[in-house]
Amino acid sequence: MFGYIVRRLIAGVLVLIAVSMMVFAIFFYGPNDPALAYCPESRCTPQRLDNLRHNLGLDRPAPQQYVEYMSGLVKSRHIESGGISIDCNWPCLGVSFKYRVSVFHYLWDRFPATFSVAAGGAICFLIIGLFSGIFAARRRGTMADKAIVSTSLFINAIPYYLLALLAYLYLVQGLGLFPETGYHSPFKDGPFKFVGGLALPWLMLGIAYSTQYARFSRGAMVDALNEDYVRTARAKGLMERVVVRRHALRAAIVPVVTIFGLDFAYLLAGTLFTEKIFGIQGMGLAGLDAVQRTDLPMISAYTLISAAFIVVANIVVDILYSVIDPRVRLA
Amino acid sequence: MGRLRSDKVAIVCAAIVVIFILIAVFAPLLTRLFGVEVRAGDPSTDTDIFNFPVIGPPDHGFTWKAPLGLAPDTGDDNLAEWLYGARTSLMIASISTVFATLIGITIGLVAGFSRGWLDRVISFVIDVFLSLPFLLAALAVAPIIVLRFSDRPGLLKWATFFSLIFILIITGWMQLARLIRGEVLSLREREFIQAARVMGVPTRQILFKELLPNMVAPIVVSFSLTLPAIVTAEAGLSYLGIGVIGQPSWGQTVLKAVPYFDTYPLYLYAPVLGIFVLVVALNLLGDAIRDAFDPKTRR
Repeated sequence: MFGYIVRRLIAGVLVLIAVSMMVFAIFFYGPNDPALAYCPESRCTPQRLDNLRHNLGLDRPAPQQYVEYMSGLVKSRHIESGGISIDCNWPCLGVSFKYRVSVFHYLWDRFPATFSVAAGGAICFLIIGLFSGIFAARRRGTMADKAIVSTSLFINAIPYYLLALLAYLYLVQGLGLFPETGYHSPFKDGPFKFVGGLALPWLMLGIAYSTQYARFSRGAMVDALNEDYVRTARAKGLMERVVVRRHALRAAIVPVVTIFGLDFAYLLAGTLFTEKIFGIQGMGLAGLDAVQRTDLPMISAYTLISAAFIVVANIVVDILYSVIDPRVRLA
Repeated sequence: MGRLRSDKVAIVCAAIVVIFILIAVFAPLLTRLFGVEVRAGDPSTDTDIFNFPVIGPPDHGFTWKAPLGLAPDTGDDNLAEWLYGARTSLMIASISTVFATLIGITIGLVAGFSRGWLDRVISFVIDVFLSLPFLLAALAVAPIIVLRFSDRPGLLKWATFFSLIFILIITGWMQLARLIRGEVLSLREREFIQAARVMGVPTRQILFKELLPNMVAPIVVSFSLTLPAIVTAEAGLSYLGIGVIGQPSWGQTVLKAVPYFDTYPLYLYAPVLGIFVLVVALNLLGDAIRDAFDPKTRR
């Protein structure tokens, strides 16, 4: 078990290094000249461009630049540009040349908003998905079961962003059923404003993502209820509630954990649509904003941080999987 | 096929998909038939002082000059944009799906058949790619392409087009590759493969003549479920502003039309309905194909 975790961690770090190299290569070889992105179009003299190149270290060989870039992960850096110098405290993934701040800290300040969206959405889709899936499985073949299955098939077929966009336009802007969406800190602005601003995004994530959980948990539950040990439990005279919760559900929950871990990581990494549609000032919106402003350090930091979430979540899921399901052996 | 034909939902969805394909293929003909043109708007003559169109909806009645009205601000024709949007969407989706499927099949076959170190390397590469969602890849690559080609709009159009296809391909092949690898691992121990090897059939022939025909079902199912995912992705990316640039796309129109949702609903509805109907039809058709191939999944 311990050896397995260590090996997974090493593999995870290798993946992250590969991703960081890819990101670095894209940004420093992709454009004709990265310095151009930092040079204001109207006042970009060749001399200024040379200065920028030198200050950004673009005239040095690429491996050296890469090492310099990655050194920010272990120590603070000091970046000079155009006569001003900026302190980039640890961990440093570069300095945004549009905002002149450390990109890591800029993004990290927006993490609570993204995390709130993802965590609230995850709670919603787990509750809706598991309950409807188990409900359908217990009433297999009835009208209720068929209604749940076909509804989830249909919702699953609709692109999430259309659902969210229409909900936002009509329920918030048109009818005003929900308050204007956005992120309010639960500590500064109070819990009511916090919940009010995120209620609709949570609900939409809940509805859109719940479909595959409903399908998975229904399938797993139907299989589990047909098992011999469930029949034994019933024959013992256990209450139906106990049979479902303690016996069948434990077996049915395993596949759900796998997709949940991955979904949550993807949610953390890419609530792009949710943040864009509902105007939530999270990391995803900062990343999109950086694209509009071609703020390369910001985009690379966003990509790296998001990839790190996904890699870590993958490892956690694999470890959890072996804890929940004793049949899975880690070797 | 018989099971598919008796599925009413599948028949209706297939008909809708065929209509969309015909629209995409004959988009130039259809625009000429309606007498409309792409990107032909002139803001000074086609829009009033509030930047709303001077003919057609929302302020004036229906007109054959612009059956779906003109776009505010630019005065571009909505119907032409919509027809060519279908073309962009289906072209990107079909090219990406075909290549992603081919790459998935090849890599899956090689990994499953070679086993050993090559299999381990390929599995690692698959894991690396799986940990990079396409949204991030698109977000990282889009500004680079724009920076590189910003001074050449003619090239920028095709550069964003092909970079989008490239991203969708390199983030779309892994699932199928894994599936094929698993299938090959179990099939290669079967008698007919062993017999072929004993007879001295070349490896390539074993791969393509013996193994591949046994994997038609998962490939068709994967293809039919990847296609709607990529249509969704294309429209979504252009809604986020990191998709194709310089040619009509439904997602782009949705982005532009959102502020007008209460003053000019038709402008928003046309592309929303386009994405909605096409993706839902493709998805339900894909589900039906999966059910037809796999007797275990019952609705």
